[in-house]
Amino acid sequence: MAIIERPSSEVAVAGGATVGVKPSEALGVFKRPAASTSWRDWIVTVDHKKLGIMYGVAAFFFFIVGGLEAVLIRLQLIAPDGKVLNADQYNQMFTMHATTMVFLFVMPMAAAFANYFVPLQIGARDVAFPRINAFGFWCFLFGGIFLNTSWFLGGAADGGWFMYAPNSSTLFSPSHGIDFWSMGLQITGIASLTGAINLIVTILNMRAPGMKMMRMPIFTWMVLVVQFLLLFAIPVITVALFLLTFQRSFDATFFDVASGADPLLWQHLFWIFGHPEVYILILPSFGIVSEILPVFSKKPLFGYPIVAMSGAAIGFVGWGVWAHHMFASGLGPVSVTVFSLATMAIAVPTGVKIVNWVMTMWGGKLSFTVPMLFSIALVVQFTIGGLSGVTHAVAPSDTQQTDTYYIVAHFHYVLFGGAIFGLFAGFYYWWPKMFRKQLSESLGRWNFWLMVIGMNMTFGPMHMLGLQGQPRRMAVWTEARAGEGFFNLGFWNRISSIGSLVLSLGVLLFIINIVYTHKSKKVAIAPLDPWDGRTLEWMTDSPPKEHNFDSIPTINNLDEFFHRKYAQDATTHEITQVATAEEVLAEMNAHPDEHIHMPSRSYWPILLALALPVIGYGLIYNRVILAVGVAMIVLTMFGWAMEPSTAADDDFDPPAPGDGGGHTKELAPLG
Amino acid sequence: MKSSRRWSNIVKPVVAVSSLVALAGCAKDAPQDTWQPAGPNAKMIDDLQRPIFYIAGIVGVIVFAAVAWAVFRFRDRGQAMPEQTHGKPALEITLTVIPVLILIGVGIPTVGTIFDLAKTDDTEMTINVTGQQWWWEYDYPAVGDNAQVYGISEPIVTSGQLVIPEDTKVLLRVTSRDVIHSYWIPKLNGKKDSVPGRVHLLRMEGSEPGIYAGQCTEFCGLSHAYMRMEAVVLSKADYATWVANQLEPYTSPSADNALALEGEKLYLQQCARCHQVNGLLNPDGTPNVAAPDQYVVSGAAPNLTNLMTRNTFAGASWDLLTPECRDDVWNATSEEFGEKYLAGVSEDCLNQKDLREWLRNAPEKKPMYADPTKLADTGGKYRGMPALGLTEDQINALVAYLLELK
Repeated sequence: MAIIERPSSEVAVAGGATVGVKPSEALGVFKRPAASTSWRDWIVTVDHKKLGIMYGVAAFFFFIVGGLEAVLIRLQLIAPDGKVLNADQYNQMFTMHATTMVFLFVMPMAAAFANYFVPLQIGARDVAFPRINAFGFWCFLFGGIFLNTSWFLGGAADGGWFMYAPNSSTLFSPSHGIDFWSMGLQITGIASLTGAINLIVTILNMRAPGMKMMRMPIFTWMVLVVQFLLLFAIPVITVALFLLTFQRSFDATFFDVASGADPLLWQHLFWIFGHPEVYILILPSFGIVSEILPVFSKKPLFGYPIVAMSGAAIGFVGWGVWAHHMFASGLGPVSVTVFSLATMAIAVPTGVKIVNWVMTMWGGKLSFTVPMLFSIALVVQFTIGGLSGVTHAVAPSDTQQTDTYYIVAHFHYVLFGGAIFGLFAGFYYWWPKMFRKQLSESLGRWNFWLMVIGMNMTFGPMHMLGLQGQPRRMAVWTEARAGEGFFNLGFWNRISSIGSLVLSLGVLLFIINIVYTHKSKKVAIAPLDPWDGRTLEWMTDSPPKEHNFDSIPTINNLDEFFHRKYAQDATTHEITQVATAEEVLAEMNAHPDEHIHMPSRSYWPILLALALPVIGYGLIYNRVILAVGVAMIVLTMFGWAMEPSTAADDDFDPPAPGDGGGHTKELAPLG
Repeated sequence: MKSSRRWSNIVKPVVAVSSLVALAGCAKDAPQDTWQPAGPNAKMIDDLQRPIFYIAGIVGVIVFAAVAWAVFRFRDRGQAMPEQTHGKPALEITLTVIPVLILIGVGIPTVGTIFDLAKTDDTEMTINVTGQQWWWEYDYPAVGDNAQVYGISEPIVTSGQLVIPEDTKVLLRVTSRDVIHSYWIPKLNGKKDSVPGRVHLLRMEGSEPGIYAGQCTEFCGLSHAYMRMEAVVLSKADYATWVANQLEPYTSPSADNALALEGEKLYLQQCARCHQVNGLLNPDGTPNVAAPDQYVVSGAAPNLTNLMTRNTFAGASWDLLTPECRDDVWNATSEEFGEKYLAGVSEDCLNQKDLREWLRNAPEKKPMYADPTKLADTGGKYRGMPALGLTEDQINALVAYLLELK
């Protein structure tokens, strides 16, 4: 069993002799934190499951923030010449709505699921680099908070989430909003990049024995594809954001036309990141529904290798389509042709997935639980978004549609109807695994239907608005351009705004459902295997122990857990249950692994992450603060580097009692 | 029973919504409708996109039907555990090849149209279009066919409305003076970004006299929502009249119009620093030359020569015509349109309300960076028109003067 952060008191040297090494103790200021049940444990934890929950809670908080921004936008547009927001506030609002939803909700929420479930699905005890994992979470949280403090410090960014130059220069956006934006995204980008490296190493190296790549659960497959996309896409936006920061803070002239620059450079950099980003947002949800549809159809995923490979194909072709965001930007006809055809090509692997989902349900035994409902809605809504996507892969037709509400409709069908519905399917599906209780199915149905109706009411009419010529990002629309008749643009704007309130009500019901489920005594503890699951995460306790599995299973099949519960008669092909989940688990726990090493808690990840926003404030306000931030970085990196992955017994706070036994650095053999 | 009731609950709203959608296709006269081409370029796009929308619709219906059937047919009625099939390669290959074939069918005409729309070698007229925060400038250069065929013997510079002759292949050379904007008249062609430092080419051709609405579609800062434009298509005869009128030499208001004369003086004091009126003389008899580059970040302000021949002002954000007179022009038949448009803005038809509000306090009406106390970041230059602090008497005089500009 591969545990990377094992005690390193013995190091092999060349020649084969082992030399005893005394790991240097943490700097003395911060003694190694010990396990506890208080809130402090969440600060210092490196457990992938706790970090997953923290990612989830923080991302959901930002979902509410981004959702309130969206509701304000729709209230402003409910009537002509809206007065809810002024133009400046409106521009900040749509900039921050998109930024929040993309960078602070969908991406980290996918990271939450990936963190929690990838190690469980591949039969690992943790991720490869647990402290880096914690560091990534704190970078995301502090980056997100830093970004949002701009609201209270002179106004948020107002250039749109695409932040096109030269409108992003200090001449055209004199407030500090864009400085907060570029530094904030830089910090959250560190979270994505470190997380990507961590999960790639984890998935490639730490699978349980027998789990070949083609036996991995499809969610893990999609997460792997996404991590490679992140690994190559985040550096591009990192460079772009640095150029922007240097342009604004140090008078660099990367995008300054008067100095001979071409502002289209920014667009290319942004979309080379931005289009893979779209797949970064959607593929985790594809993975989630590809887990859920088989479970509630009682059939394996139809065409598993094709679904996995089409995900990888999307990951590759996704790099060659970025300029379809720029069909109106003046590219030559040959370039337009290439990107137009590449964009059509990417519809093929995407369509393959939809076909395979439908075929998974075909011939199955379908039960319409709430996670299943969200998954089916994803298939339908994503299809609508995918088909409208094909209409603007057709470049000439896109020159009519781009920057209108038709595009807003398209990507909300893909990202809300697709990505977010997938995440909600995941909440309901995996909730009993994470929190021992099943979310109420009846409240869940209300939650689901209100969200379906709200989502289609909000974004459906936007197709009409866009095709009838209403551009995006307009603080007001005017009656003069709304057209005649009952179904004019005013009508559709009203429907859309009302829909956004229905949608909010649906999300509110989700929160109510959480509170109800955990407060009400009527909701019993969920059974071990509430959905008749098929993959490894169900083959352990709910919630799993810190070390996930008492014994690491050996994998013989795709859908290993299903095959341990069911057997097929060789002659009649009839499938019968041979064991319950409890029996499978009991058998595993009967032979626990002898030594289980778990990584130790650490203060350094949060302290290092805390230094980053200090640098951000320093860049914006004061070079002294900047120096403090840099000093914090240097000191915390030193402390981190010197900290052994598992400390000596006397290095704990509070110190280990007596002979130092009983600490979490090494769990005693169980059983 | 329970499930069938649930089904009717689903079907009803679906039917209701889809019939609404069908009706919406008939929404009347949205001025920026992308499905009502009024020129060959927009028609080319429309001919391409209509079948694609139909194909997408059919594919969608097939997928929805398959999902609905699966949901209906295979729901758990207590049937036995289904066979654990992992796929059927022949079926999967078929279902992959079909979309490939459809997309090849979509791709071939797409490529043809891309190149057709990019053609510029048969251009009959050239107009320079320049975007800046938050209005468009049109410059009709007095060169080539512009001068020889269309009588543009001197450059004409206007704003607010692009005026082009019917059935003429006009090439717009689109650029910007500050940030990126995008030029879009949906009924005449798709959009093209106006990027500072670059000139992009966009074909425009109108088949029928009339007025066509458009809007800046690239987010361009504070007042993006107020950056509108209109394209006017005139018959060739009417176009000649329009050109001749634009080139008529300037004359000061007649002596019996004292108010307008006072307005001209006021204009020279208050407006002429930025806004050019061709032929206007300074008190000392020298030609007045506006110098917007000293006051405005983009270095330009709308040229107001013959302002009242246009129907809009302030980046086409507001009409110069009252709603009734505006409708009269917009709804005119293509035969009557030219005459009504060329009549310009009369005193009776002038939209006094919006014009006066604008003169009273422009940045309050249209969001702009024009607060003189907050110009540190721009080296003291405005982005937009500042409030001039005019008295009501001064506004009366200015309006009287502006009415003479036609």
